[in-house]
Amino acid sequence: MDYMAAFAISGSGMSVEKLRLDVTALNIANVHSTRGPEGTGYEPLQVISGARQAQLFRSVFAAESLRLAGGAEVLEVRTVGVAPRLVYEPNHPDADAAGFVAYPGINPVNEMVTLLAAMRAYEANVAAFNAAKTMALKALELGGNG
Amino acid sequence: MNIDTSTLLPAVAGTRLTPTADAGAGAGAGALGFAQWLERSLAETNTRLIAADQQVQRLALGETDNLHHVMIALEEAKLSFQLMVQVRNKLLEAYQDILRMQV
Repeated sequence: MDYMAAFAISGSGMSVEKLRLDVTALNIANVHSTRGPEGTGYEPLQVISGARQAQLFRSVFAAESLRLAGGAEVLEVRTVGVAPRLVYEPNHPDADAAGFVAYPGINPVNEMVTLLAAMRAYEANVAAFNAAKTMALKALELGGNG
Repeated sequence: MNIDTSTLLPAVAGTRLTPTADAGAGAGAGALGFAQWLERSLAETNTRLIAADQQVQRLALGETDNLHHVMIALEEAKLSFQLMVQVRNKLLEAYQDILRMQV
């Protein structure tokens, strides 16, 4: 059934947005982290996603039906590369010689916007999925008594 | 005014509603084809139901990474099953129509 392609496309979009939410939550959780996994400061991360190679191809079983295969995929999760936020806290164990502590350069407002955008995009994927499902169920109603 | 539709719609002109010679010869093979299609579709539906079941099991065990993959598998299984139910309804309807036929 060619509706499975629509489901797979929506599913790939949901996977990407889910990862975006995970990464944004990780950034928010580490807003006050002074030590990262490698001992250095935590670097804010961002998800780079791209379109999966979309192509129309003819089904093997039905020559007249065209199918669209593709979707979205995560290309990479990379560090944003913003300068750390320096706060003067001489008593902090991670303070440098001048008494400054390097907090990650995370902007909570930007992170919240990314979070909301990811959530809305996820919802849009669910809406597209539900539309495909409704269409399939409507097709099954063809010739019915209702 | 005489309008020749075959020249206006070349795509329609090529189609024939009457069965051609090769279509008549392949009628036996066509009946077998439907049985094969039904068998394959039933097997496919069964596979989807089993896959959905396994996904739910993995979700319960905490092994799955994405909730929406489970839901998509469930929806696919549901849709396949409903298609099968509709095919069965149509078949039964046709059979009962024939059964009610006056001889």
